[in-house]
Amino acid sequence: MSLETKKVNFKVFRFNAERDFLPYYEQYTLDVTHEEVVLDVLNRIKWEFSGSLSYRRSCRHGICGSCSIKVNNKAVLACKERLFDLVELFGDELVIKPLSEARVVKDLIIDKKDFWAKYDAVKPYLIDDIDEAPEVENLVSPHEVEQILDSEICIQCGNCFYSCPAIENNEEFFGPAAFAKAYRFAADVRDNAKIERLEIVNAPEQGVWDCMKCFECAQACPKDVNPIEKITKLHNMYFQEGIAKSNVATRHAYAFKRSVEKNGLLDEADMVLYAERLDVIKQMPNALSMLKVGKLPMPWNQPKSEKLDEIKKLIKSSSTVKF
Amino acid sequence: MSIPIYTYDAVIVGAGLAGNAAARELQKAGKKVAVITKLHPLRSHSGAAQGGINAAFSAKDSEELHMYDTIKGSDYLADQDAVAFMCNEAPKTIRWAERMGAVFSRTADGKIAQRPFGGQSEPRACYAKDRTGLTLLQTSYEQAHREGVLFFDEWYAADIIYKNGKISGVVAFNIRNMDKAIFNANAVMFATGGYARTYKINSNAHANTGDGLSIVARHGLPLEDMEFVQFHPSGLSGSGILISEAARGEGGKLLNSLGERFMSKYAPNAMELASRDVVARAIIEEIRQGRGVGPRKDAVYIDLTHLGAEKIMERLPELRDLAITFLGLDMIKEPILISATAHYSMGGIPVDIDGHVRKDNESFVEGFYAAGECACVSVHGANRLGANSVLEALLFGRHVGQSMAKDLDRGIALRPASLEDAQNMLDEMRFVLENNGTERVPELRTLLQESMTENAGVFRSEETLKKELVILDELEARYKNIRIEDKSKIFNTEMQEAIELGHMLDYARFIVDGALRRQESRGAHFREDFPARDDEKFLNHTMAYRDANGKIVSYPREVVLGRFEVKARAY
Ligand SMILES: Cc1cc2nc3c(=O)[nH]c(=O)nc-3n(C[C@H](O)[C@H](O)[C@H](O)COP(=O)(O)OP(=O)(O)OC[C@H]3O[C@@H](n4cnc5c(N)ncnc54)[C@H](O)[C@@H]3O)c2cc1C
Ligand code: SF4
Ligand code: SF4
Ligand code: FES
Repeated sequence: MSLETKKVNFKVFRFNAERDFLPYYEQYTLDVTHEEVVLDVLNRIKWEFSGSLSYRRSCRHGICGSCSIKVNNKAVLACKERLFDLVELFGDELVIKPLSEARVVKDLIIDKKDFWAKYDAVKPYLIDDIDEAPEVENLVSPHEVEQILDSEICIQCGNCFYSCPAIENNEEFFGPAAFAKAYRFAADVRDNAKIERLEIVNAPEQGVWDCMKCFECAQACPKDVNPIEKITKLHNMYFQEGIAKSNVATRHAYAFKRSVEKNGLLDEADMVLYAERLDVIKQMPNALSMLKVGKLPMPWNQPKSEKLDEIKKLIKSSSTVKF
Repeated sequence: MSIPIYTYDAVIVGAGLAGNAAARELQKAGKKVAVITKLHPLRSHSGAAQGGINAAFSAKDSEELHMYDTIKGSDYLADQDAVAFMCNEAPKTIRWAERMGAVFSRTADGKIAQRPFGGQSEPRACYAKDRTGLTLLQTSYEQAHREGVLFFDEWYAADIIYKNGKISGVVAFNIRNMDKAIFNANAVMFATGGYARTYKINSNAHANTGDGLSIVARHGLPLEDMEFVQFHPSGLSGSGILISEAARGEGGKLLNSLGERFMSKYAPNAMELASRDVVARAIIEEIRQGRGVGPRKDAVYIDLTHLGAEKIMERLPELRDLAITFLGLDMIKEPILISATAHYSMGGIPVDIDGHVRKDNESFVEGFYAAGECACVSVHGANRLGANSVLEALLFGRHVGQSMAKDLDRGIALRPASLEDAQNMLDEMRFVLENNGTERVPELRTLLQESMTENAGVFRSEETLKKELVILDELEARYKNIRIEDKSKIFNTEMQEAIELGHMLDYARFIVDGALRRQESRGAHFREDFPARDDEKFLNHTMAYRDANGKIVSYPREVVLGRFEVKARAY
């Protein structure tokens, strides 16, 4: 057994807010092995060629959420993305960029204060009077734990947030990670603030109803948190708790359900129309940016998802409400 | 240049389990507290713990049994009073973490589930799938955050203010922009985590450079038991990333290049399930004798293929995923490559049960506390048992927070800080930024890590250790001649790595020196020239400090015994 290698060209985004007016790229051609991940290459570039290259990293195995970047516009954890996989996907030219160019402060490091502000906004902690010296634990069934397990494993990497087209158009929008967190606590049987939480993420412009259901967050997430699924679960909680009123929100939800059932993928244009009726014009910037990220299929080639049955099942299981 | 001086009742360095738990207690007690951390708290290495956290609360288990297992596992070097305290408090602590929101796996009747772990007589590791650390780290941070604790994240603590037996604060800079600040405080706590990154193959995060230890040692304060570094038998070849004990627990077979199940030579009864140090030594011995496998011949196989796809997918999905990512090998189809990896630091800043930092065997440093992996209480002695260290971090972190609040109530005077207190840090930063030598930090770091693995790793002897001391002298001299490229103020990670290397070089010497002094083999410390345990001479802790000339001076500290009789450790 020996190390397999491949030659790869890397274009690495460089920028230092202290000095540079515009970003630029540096190029490196390196032999990479079948054992290496993107972080190994960043380390090699920093340690062998360019000491000033800066990026965040700590754990090295996908559990601390530090090292999010984009490779050929795909949001990844640098430490969990194999180079051989990327080469298979994109060929031997890889462009390494920060998660968000607009927020870059140095090289691959961005200012995540908007991300953390949204995290803070959803009260990301269990709200309960904590027994400081308990003799017994709360009893929670395995089934109840199952409800929150996959949302709890969010490592706050920001991949979903900085891939979300709704954020790009509306900086007030809480974004997928915050919704997943809101869901994680709202669905925790030990939490005493479910209604308060639902009210926070119900806010117009900011809340769950402004999600464009593009599934980008589910694709970007390295931990399979599946934020969009948590958003639908939050939608359902509004109906279960009797908070949802017949407004843009409920129409949104209805359109969402109908669209998914019909196509598996979402017919975004149809849905926005349905929900907003004559306010369609207001949505134009959103629609444009979705086009840009390739999320808005033209009506004449509306695709049917290969996983339609699966998605329908998912919708069925997560939707207990009659619209 | 003017540097702001902030004043707090308490300043904590580190926001892993230990730092967060302490901060919450202080905040709840109404103290003005700040936490300084070079990572965002949620990025701390506590989040990487996979397997579990121990507490004796099942029907057949008892605190007494937990104590016994811990002390036996420690090869009798643990302080028995500290172990007793920890084991007694463990059930309450874990239930408290649960009350705060930790998402543990549950039994059918809704209680916290427990799994067996190496060296434990009963299944007592509470777990959250294979990400126990993550849920605990999140919970500890969330509830500290909820209480309103102030976190200075992406701030690097570079020095303490220490004069005349008393601490009065921390000096730090903001990694984002190099803003500097003096955190003047009545009480300071270190919770800076472990030091296994001094080794080439290790399971630790990049951040685990053990800064806290050398910051303390540079002031002539002692470190304890630094020679005890735990090597985990199953790190992925090349990266050292941890494959948890579950791989062996589920029936993984270790094979060498001849296809021999070699554990039959080293531990014919326990085989792969022998204790961590035994298996780690067996693996390294096979590799040394030329029976290693893999592209670098630096590994052995662990074969899990006989378990079948279904069982692997059900029990070990994360481990499979790690091996695919970092080796390109699928354990369902083929054996994967592992070797011993530096994993955990038993040694650290010497403290008593209440977290008071020892100045020597008789006295304490006023206003200074430590807890978690950077501290040595000592509950792990020469070898820590799996699932005992997140327990230590959470439990002692919390307890030390309470103890600080109490001491503050009784009164710890605030010695006002002045600008001169920042001088060490300013000198250090200036040196790294402006020194115009020819040496490169990454190269020196690699030499350090490789030589430590080679000479002060799983096997040690007088010969290899003395060789390492010479190498350390050399590296230290070369370090004085470094040069970095990046001169900017924003996220100067190159400067930070250089400062961290300075720390690693400093405390590596304590590891080697301690290992040289300890002419016996105990727990994780194995001397080829002294393969037996020697209770007569070495049933004691190593206390070591750097004198004014930079020379390391060491002296013993008695082990606290009394509860369990010292016996041979056999599994
Ligand atoms: C892969 C892996 C798996 C593990 N699994 C288990 C397990 O299953 N069970 C178990 O019991 N134990 C396990 N451990 C060990 C356990 O996770 C650690 O011992 C424990 O979490 C340490 O917690 P801590 O709070 O002391 O330190 P950490 O969580 O490491 O936190 C250290 C903090 O200090 C800060 N810091 C350090 N230096 C500076 C500085 N100069 N300036 C500012 N801030 C600084 C960091 O930012 C960080 O916030 C595992 C360890 C590893 C590596
Ligand atoms: S599905 Fe909603 S939250 Fe997720 S990326 Fe799209 S718009 Fe954002
Ligand atoms: S939901 Fe996924 S992508 Fe988003 S922050 Fe959490 S782990 Fe990252
Ligand atoms: S370095 Fe921690 S997730 Fe990549």
